[in-house]
Amino acid sequence: MEDRGGHSPSMIRMWRVYRTAKEMCLDRGYDVSREDCDISLAEFAHKCQREDGDPERTRLHFSCQPSPAMLQKYAQLPTAKDPDPQPAIGTMWVEFNGDENVGLKQLRDYITHLGSGSFYSGIMICTKPMTGMGLKLLRSAPHIEEGPKGGVEVFVEQDLLVNITKHELVPKHVLLSQEEKKQLLQRYRLKETQLPRIQVTDPVAKYLGLRRGQVVKIIRKSETAGRYASYRWAI
Amino acid sequence: MAPRSILKNSTVSTNGPPVERPVNQRHMETALHHANIIEQRKIVEQKVLENVIVLMDFPTSSDADPTRPSPADALLFRELMLPFQPSDYDALIEERNIAELCGYALCPRPRRKARTRAKKQFVMTDSGPEIVDKKLLEIWCSDDCAKRALYVKVQLNENPAWMRQDGYGDKVELMVENAAEHTLSLPIRLKKEAAPVDNSKSDEDEDAAAAWAARDDALADLAMERGEKPGRLTKANKDLISKTIRERVGHTAPVAPSLEDQISNAHMAIEGHIPRTSRPQDDDDDEDANEIDWDKHLPT
Repeated sequence: MEDRGGHSPSMIRMWRVYRTAKEMCLDRGYDVSREDCDISLAEFAHKCQREDGDPERTRLHFSCQPSPAMLQKYAQLPTAKDPDPQPAIGTMWVEFNGDENVGLKQLRDYITHLGSGSFYSGIMICTKPMTGMGLKLLRSAPHIEEGPKGGVEVFVEQDLLVNITKHELVPKHVLLSQEEKKQLLQRYRLKETQLPRIQVTDPVAKYLGLRRGQVVKIIRKSETAGRYASYRWAI
Repeated sequence: MAPRSILKNSTVSTNGPPVERPVNQRHMETALHHANIIEQRKIVEQKVLENVIVLMDFPTSSDADPTRPSPADALLFRELMLPFQPSDYDALIEERNIAELCGYALCPRPRRKARTRAKKQFVMTDSGPEIVDKKLLEIWCSDDCAKRALYVKVQLNENPAWMRQDGYGDKVELMVENAAEHTLSLPIRLKKEAAPVDNSKSDEDEDAAAAWAARDDALADLAMERGEKPGRLTKANKDLISKTIRERVGHTAPVAPSLEDQISNAHMAIEGHIPRTSRPQDDDDDEDANEIDWDKHLPT
């Protein structure tokens, strides 16, 4: 265990949230350096500590670029109409919101900020769960014209205290690209509706930012077969 | 590449495209019916969300008075309230509070601040001191606004708007001191030609003379609509505009149910035939007989 060094509990909390957020971006395939994910508490405190010992959340915002591998993964299949499609991914903006209550107002400001900064998608991490109306707006966010194309995700700090994918009972989830999905369906002669499902509200699906229609490969340990892979269709 | 099948080609592939089946009309209708209900629901929810966003930045002018809202604001507020449920109204109050505004949508003042940052606060009431949550204390700007806001909330329909039979339901009433202004402006608003007149009226609220002129114009238009000719005696008293509307509502008086409908034995029919035992004539006889029998049982 690392030395607490007289840091306040809220600082330690924020440090863990920050690290999980960085790891999440890395696991999704964004260009995040390993050092950022393993940032030490002292370094983190140096970066964002205020005089009263609490973290200053506005200094923690970061944006990340998708890596080449991720761009490939999100590449769209060419169609007759669009022979050279753009990958469905782009720069992401991660913001830490320190407000006690997050409602429509903050969410709208955030969405317009994403639009003005020409970000493809965004993650907002807030201290408390959002209000009901905010969640409703979030659900309809993809239909807002000025909003980001890739949608907005909202996490609560509490959910990011630990990285759930590192738990031993959570199997490995690997997102399949459109091309891989097509091959899978051909190989097993399936229609995508014949696959087992996973909800996009599933904790791991939320962690990976799965979108409706994508397929994940889930690799479990098996006593008899060593490894066992199954595929799930995100709905 | 799909691996080559080792099965004979003659077998029917289970994964091939399904055989084209004729559409079952009944299934189609059921599916469409349910899809429409869900669609309706989505539209209503979207509308509620839009209304909340509009009402978050209400009232339009920063020096509006919650006791005497301008007719335009009041009318818009009442219209936006139609699809609301009480829970949506609570959400609206919550959103306004996050924006540091009084929960009542017609009040422009910031919400009240508790004296200290403690979670529970002492409040002096008529029945002595009480301990109240800080959150509850900070919803409104004053007790008066709380009363006015809750006056609206109790009128909201508990049924979600997509389940309501008769459209969205009744208009809500506001607890205001200038209620007469709002009701007077209503019949004028209904007319297309008079709508710009009404707008000008709300703009120059102080200019009473212009307002009265606009009202007279609108009344003249209404008289034309009734088929009166200018210069003749009017059929309607000027003060009775709203009363003529009220008369129309009650013009089909409900007919009292006739006795024959009640006695009709249709419910006893079996495939259209009414068995003799359940015909009214027989019933009466039976009842009589029963009465006699019942009398016999009594000890004398």
